[in-house]
Amino acid sequence: MAVEAALAAGASYADARVVLRRNQNVSTKNGRVENLLDVESEGIGVRVLVGGAWGFACDRRLSDEGARAAARRATGFARAAAGRHDRRLAPVEASSGVYRTPLERDPFDVSLSDKVEHCLRAEQALAHADVKVTQAFVRAQREHKFLVSSEGSDVEQELVECGGGIDALAARDGLFQMRSYPSAHGGWSAQAGWEFVDGLGLEREAPRVGEQAAALLSADPCPAGVTTIVVDAEQVALQVHESVGHPTELDRVYGTEASYAGTSFLKPDDLASLRYGSEHMNVTADSTTPGGLGTFAFDDEGVAADRDPIVADGVLRGFLTSRETAARIGAGRGGSMRADGWSRMPLVRMSNLHLEPGEGSLEELVGGVDDGVYLETNKSWSIDDKRLNFQFGTQIAWEIKSGKLGRMLRDATYTGITPVFWGSLDAVAGRDEWRLSGLTNCGKGQPGQSAHVSHGASPARFTDVQIGVRG
Amino acid sequence: MSRAADVAASALEAAAGEQADALVVAERSGLARFAASEVHQPTLIEDVVVILRVARDGQIGIASTNRIESEGLRELAARAGEAADSAPRDDDFAGLADPEPLPEVAGCDDATAELGPDDQARLAASAIAAATDYPAYGYFTSGVTELAVASTKGVSASQLMTDATALVIAAGEGASGYADRTSWSAGEVDPAEVAREAGEKAARTVGARTLDAGHYRAVLEPYAFAELLQYFAYVCFGAQSLLEERSYFCGRLGERVFDEKVSIADDALDPRGLPKAFDFEGMPKQRVQLVEEGVARGFVWDRQTAARARDGAATTGHAPPPSLREYGPLPFALSVAPGEADSADDLVALVGDGIYVTRLHYLSIVDPREGVITGMTRDGTFRIREGRVAEPLVNLRFTVSVPELLAEVPGLTREPKLANQSDYYGERFPYGVLTPAIATTDFNVNGVGSAPGI
Repeated sequence: MAVEAALAAGASYADARVVLRRNQNVSTKNGRVENLLDVESEGIGVRVLVGGAWGFACDRRLSDEGARAAARRATGFARAAAGRHDRRLAPVEASSGVYRTPLERDPFDVSLSDKVEHCLRAEQALAHADVKVTQAFVRAQREHKFLVSSEGSDVEQELVECGGGIDALAARDGLFQMRSYPSAHGGWSAQAGWEFVDGLGLEREAPRVGEQAAALLSADPCPAGVTTIVVDAEQVALQVHESVGHPTELDRVYGTEASYAGTSFLKPDDLASLRYGSEHMNVTADSTTPGGLGTFAFDDEGVAADRDPIVADGVLRGFLTSRETAARIGAGRGGSMRADGWSRMPLVRMSNLHLEPGEGSLEELVGGVDDGVYLETNKSWSIDDKRLNFQFGTQIAWEIKSGKLGRMLRDATYTGITPVFWGSLDAVAGRDEWRLSGLTNCGKGQPGQSAHVSHGASPARFTDVQIGVRG
Repeated sequence: MSRAADVAASALEAAAGEQADALVVAERSGLARFAASEVHQPTLIEDVVVILRVARDGQIGIASTNRIESEGLRELAARAGEAADSAPRDDDFAGLADPEPLPEVAGCDDATAELGPDDQARLAASAIAAATDYPAYGYFTSGVTELAVASTKGVSASQLMTDATALVIAAGEGASGYADRTSWSAGEVDPAEVAREAGEKAARTVGARTLDAGHYRAVLEPYAFAELLQYFAYVCFGAQSLLEERSYFCGRLGERVFDEKVSIADDALDPRGLPKAFDFEGMPKQRVQLVEEGVARGFVWDRQTAARARDGAATTGHAPPPSLREYGPLPFALSVAPGEADSADDLVALVGDGIYVTRLHYLSIVDPREGVITGMTRDGTFRIREGRVAEPLVNLRFTVSVPELLAEVPGLTREPKLANQSDYYGERFPYGVLTPAIATTDFNVNGVGSAPGI
């Protein structure tokens, strides 16, 4: 209905996405429920090309009237905001199919009471005299969506995800420290059933987390200097996200995200020639990864999921693309277009972006360091608009002396320049250490959109890195 | 009765027999986003979200939907009730609020509310046309947001808010400049003027040089200081950060914390900002003095944190929406008292030798307790030499303790500016920071990044 209405209104291309999303978020703090939220949202978003110009409009009503209204408004906006360019899309075959997240136990079959109990049990295990705040949270999301396009695509997908995490906030004598598991900023999530949350082992890990938060109050600050660092898999995942994922989004390379998230230090003709990092650096975009938050059968333009090299042996081999940017660069077919729900236009987004594993264990990585620092769990993150200068902080660190972990350090930070930093990568731990981190707070676009993405990574070692930046 | 208020009343009816409150956010907006002087992502949004909170003897459950017809609201009530049944009793629950008189505020302009897609496209085109020397990147947006709160205890609050923002980065190879304007009246927002300001700034950034790390005197334009202060406020001015001992101001109320030229309030009633009459529980907004002439004076509170404090604290009208509840009450109407400098150039003269910062990018809290924040400068960073703005600089990595940055302030400008802070995630809720430009004697630069430009 919406696509027909858009074509009748003069669109040369149209797609319509119906999205029904349900979320349950449960959080507890200091032994009581902080939030118990059951959210649903549904609607239709219609995207059109009219005279080579895009238009997008949405309507919460899932009715013929809502579909027609969205199509009419989208085509009207495209006409009103027409530009001088003729936007073209890389040709793809019309897609059709049904995809559902494979899962063992639907997270919405787990009662809210059980979710509350799950949090409270984990939280109790965080207790420590110096821990002032304990908190635990679990979440579940079901997104049922349908895509129809004027080129004949007709796709239905049901993506289910869930996750959780715990935090311990310790304070004493004017010092404040925080420890989280499995990561800060909302824990970890995956496209999976509740078995994923059970597998996180929040209650099992909580005593260590609480003790470390308290111990950080007595730890020395991380010293400043240039040294070798070993970074845990979760922080490597964020490093990949910020300094490889975003700069390889081809819309950023072309400047269309300049007014918010920024652009990229990469240029289109860097493909297949730019040395991004050392020979140990192999990064893959993979929207087929089991459990990944960016896993689908088709992206929001109907392009089939795939696995593509982005960096191979340290050389840039690919960009993340839409059909439009793929046509512009003259390579590829898109496959990275994702929208936040029904009320936002699809953008080029990461799906799942992995640093491929190397060899050996974390212990062996540390064992190869005479003098350095091991950093674990992200605390702060910042990177410039072209994704060159970054600075990260971690919740906890340990000094490395003669291949062994030594004293605990607090307030650790490290900073660098993207290709220099990746050029100093001298080892990546092996498959046994490889973890899939699922993040739910990747921001981009105006109006803003949050994307859910996953990154697989193993701990990695970098040389000659500046650490210990303070204000 | 407004449409949002109707929906809130209907939600309460659907929850008949419960103790409940309903929050409704209705949005109609358009955003014409452009890049390389061409609109590329034009987005029209219409939505109505209703959030129902059910309280059953201290057991609290919340559900939301945008299905506002009777069936959707019936199911909403059932889900909220199920959520409440699933929650253990919260002995700290402050109870549903009693109604209180609400202040009259500005913030709604009929002409802005009537702007449609053709107008939004025309105003974006106006910015693009005025960017003559460099391509324009940015957007024009306007919207009307209706907020309503109703409860079974008699709270009945509604407000129609309008907002309009033009944002432009004028940018080419090795050059970029930034400007924005925001107001609840689109008549106060001239996209062409914004584009010209951005273009003039961009022209001065050509040939940017690097800078050694170190502590510099600096002038921060309102764009830059607004974002820095908003981030600092997220972790330091909310009552929850006090109760959890995370705030820099813990144990410092009544103490001199900043230069005496610095006074900061949260004032949602100020017509120069983006006014709000009530918070997300329907409680009246109050002006809260946070820092007065350099002395720490207060925090923003909601009823929940006030109840937990158990020391006579009371709400200041800062209850967050349920989606932000984990952060507690937050200030979204920061206002910095102006100084006596006639212009930013006067501040530059006061600084003498240092750096000039137009705006910031990608801030992150390094240490909440010490107020340490890192980020980058962007789209207009310059060296200050001999009391004048001198050569352009590449984007700088900074890591600053906000209390140290504000410990010695040579001056602030006389005219505050409303700097937009909304990125339009989720439901539309316009907010900004009203601040003058500010000079500081201590801005810590610890690295360099990319050059200006695309």
